[in-house]
Amino acid sequence: MMWQNQLPFRWWLGFEAKRKRALALAPEGPLKDFLATPFPDLSCPVNELPLVAVDFETTGLDAVADKLLSVGFCQLESGLINLGSSFHQIINTKQKLKPENVVVHHITDEQQQQGLPLEEVVEDLLKALAGKVMLVHFNQIERHFLQQACLELYGVKPPLLMIDTLLIAKRRLDQRDVAYDPSELRLTNQRSYYQLPHYAAHNALSDAVATAELFLAQTTHLSKDTTLSSLLA
Amino acid sequence: MEAELAEISRFVQEVPPFEHLPEHKLQAIIKLISICYVPKGEALPPAQCQGDKLFIIRKGALVYRDQMGELLGKFGEGDLCTIFCSANQIGNIEIVTEEDTLLYCLDYPTLAEIVEDYPTVLNFFKCSAAQRLNNKMSELNEEAVVSASLMNTDISQFYHTPVATLSENASIRDAAIQMSELGHSCLVITTQDNQRQPVGIVTDKDLRRRCIAQGLDYNLPVSTIMTTDMLSIEEGSQAYDALMLMTAKRVHHLPVMKNNKLLAMVTITDLMNHESQNATNLTHLVRKAKTVEEIAQISQMIGKLQMRMARLGTTADHVGKSISAITSAITIRLIELAESQFGQAPVPYAWLAAGSQARQEQFAHSDQDNALIISDDMLPEHDAWFLKLATFVSDGLAQCGFIYCPGDIMATNKQWRQPQKVWHQYFERWIKNPNPQALLNGTVFFDVATIHGDASLLNAVKDKLLKTTKGNTLFLAHLSRNALQNKPPLGFFRDFVLSKNGENEAVLNLKLNGIAPIVDLARIYALSQGIAQCNTIERLKRVAGTPALTEASAKNLIDAYEFLSLLRMEHQASKLAAGLSADNFLAPKDISKLEREHLKDAFKVIKTLQDARQSAY
Repeated sequence: MMWQNQLPFRWWLGFEAKRKRALALAPEGPLKDFLATPFPDLSCPVNELPLVAVDFETTGLDAVADKLLSVGFCQLESGLINLGSSFHQIINTKQKLKPENVVVHHITDEQQQQGLPLEEVVEDLLKALAGKVMLVHFNQIERHFLQQACLELYGVKPPLLMIDTLLIAKRRLDQRDVAYDPSELRLTNQRSYYQLPHYAAHNALSDAVATAELFLAQTTHLSKDTTLSSLLA
Repeated sequence: MEAELAEISRFVQEVPPFEHLPEHKLQAIIKLISICYVPKGEALPPAQCQGDKLFIIRKGALVYRDQMGELLGKFGEGDLCTIFCSANQIGNIEIVTEEDTLLYCLDYPTLAEIVEDYPTVLNFFKCSAAQRLNNKMSELNEEAVVSASLMNTDISQFYHTPVATLSENASIRDAAIQMSELGHSCLVITTQDNQRQPVGIVTDKDLRRRCIAQGLDYNLPVSTIMTTDMLSIEEGSQAYDALMLMTAKRVHHLPVMKNNKLLAMVTITDLMNHESQNATNLTHLVRKAKTVEEIAQISQMIGKLQMRMARLGTTADHVGKSISAITSAITIRLIELAESQFGQAPVPYAWLAAGSQARQEQFAHSDQDNALIISDDMLPEHDAWFLKLATFVSDGLAQCGFIYCPGDIMATNKQWRQPQKVWHQYFERWIKNPNPQALLNGTVFFDVATIHGDASLLNAVKDKLLKTTKGNTLFLAHLSRNALQNKPPLGFFRDFVLSKNGENEAVLNLKLNGIAPIVDLARIYALSQGIAQCNTIERLKRVAGTPALTEASAKNLIDAYEFLSLLRMEHQASKLAAGLSADNFLAPKDISKLEREHLKDAFKVIKTLQDARQSAY
């Protein structure tokens, strides 16, 4: 039982305190609904976890200065990635895109002008996330951009429960006691390590699906009684 | 969202039978996908995919085994697993992942609803291998009927353009000069203005009959001798119509018009050249040939004929019969030439063909299997004549491209040049004492036919043979055991042929592992029922409904046989077209995924009937 382990227990108390504080501050609406839904138990076995694989495309790495450009996600429950639940939306940032970034995310000004306002997209995302754990590759981006968006939209930075496939990969590589190139941690390289099919195109949804597939491959090589607590980012 | 999952869509779209579906249906199917990951060594279905499900292998490999642990098949990327589509299909098959495997799992009832208006797609999941193969064959046969002749060949395949023309005020001599220079036998005469409207036609014959024979001045305008009521045919007509028109009106040249403008010219020679490649014509040419060299010349067209028939979509059955007919004509003509050289035969005899020629299943470039059956009145000194005949014909056949039989099953071999009573003994021995070597010879001569000479000689032997084989369980058991050693492959795995022992082979031997097992089965059925036919399809049709074989199984085997033969023929045609020799080795990567599916179905049909045969003895 995880409760015998002091560290996650204290972490959880801290997380719960933050959640309650945010809940008290959040205005009526999507963020409040999201925070009011209980999260999965820390002792929940990994193959029973309700997960949402999420990926963002952004105009840069700074959550305050840069903008969220597109959101893609799909549900991963009891070991099945459900493409019927997949979601992809481009956001209208109401500003011109820097040409050097267009090369990275392939979203054009024209496309983003036809996108939806940030508020609508975050609302859809929060609805999907209620009561579930976010699954991402490199959690800094998704965590900071979503928290920043919530701060701007609702005046509150919510705590977020996340599993990070990059950290799972890093843990595996660190255990080997051999020096490795940090580029090995990239999503593409981790996927080829597990011989998953190569996806040429990059967009928020296909990267979310790619992350979910990577997670399935990673967890089959973890012990059966692995729980949420040992995977949290 | 479609574009964001483009790679998954593209992958699914290339998996048969999804390629038949329009985009919106494909998208509905993409939405239905649940992706799951099954580590190596686990049994399907995974715990999270219970119920009626279809699986598509995205990455990894599945191995199928029966309850005895015997390998049934192996499947990789882009293959379907339909076993779990309905609970009653599962049977005793065990499916295990051989590698870490990424699967697309689709709820089958929902999938069936999405594709309910697409029977070809639905049949792919629902039908048995035999049913699918049958659908494929009826489709192919329809194509063959439609495309078999000049009826469906557009005139544009034959015409020449541009057409040589001459102005009407030019002289007769100018016309003759231009025709000589161009090597043409006709010119179209046009108005002298810029319109250049065709007004008539001048041929070699007009020059002869209307000018030279009449003593006409050749400096007169060409219009004086031209034919003005010129026939023509519209662009887009069929070659057959052109041929009919020219034959009816006895003209050899026919201008082709488009929007009242002269477009091209078609000649009767062009059309006849096309037709002359057909089997009847070749046979006819062979009959008129005066020397072995001439026959050899004609026989060079056999490969081309086979290629053309294959390209026109003719069934393999038809092609086999046509080629066999030509081989017979060649053999007969060679015998006639021999007889005119060595004198008449001292006693009655018959020239026999064995193997594929006897079954009328011969393709171009096959080897010769032949023999002589001679009247029992034969005296020892007569053999010299028959040896001369055998040598002449066998050498002639070799000159015509039919290689000498590697197993020496030829009339030049004393063993196969015998009086009738010896042939009676041969068959008696093969049947009474069916040891493997005896059966090897027997198998060749159980498919035997008279090509030339006194047919009653062989008929008597065959009658007696069939009476002794019918219901002869010991003999049939031995024959079956021999034949059943040759099993079809289990299927394909990635770009390899998966053999029964689980090994991967780079190529499929279409003849040895596909066609021969069916030919063998048909022979066993026919002998067990005392049926005299040699042709595999005819044998199968004859035994259908007898205790040896049900109607349905006969139909399935015929479909499998026709499909495999067609594939072999197409393969050989493409080899020949590339200037390579026509072999039987098909590489899986050279055929479409759909063809692989049909091949697997054919293998299944063969295996089912081989297994039934095995358990019968």
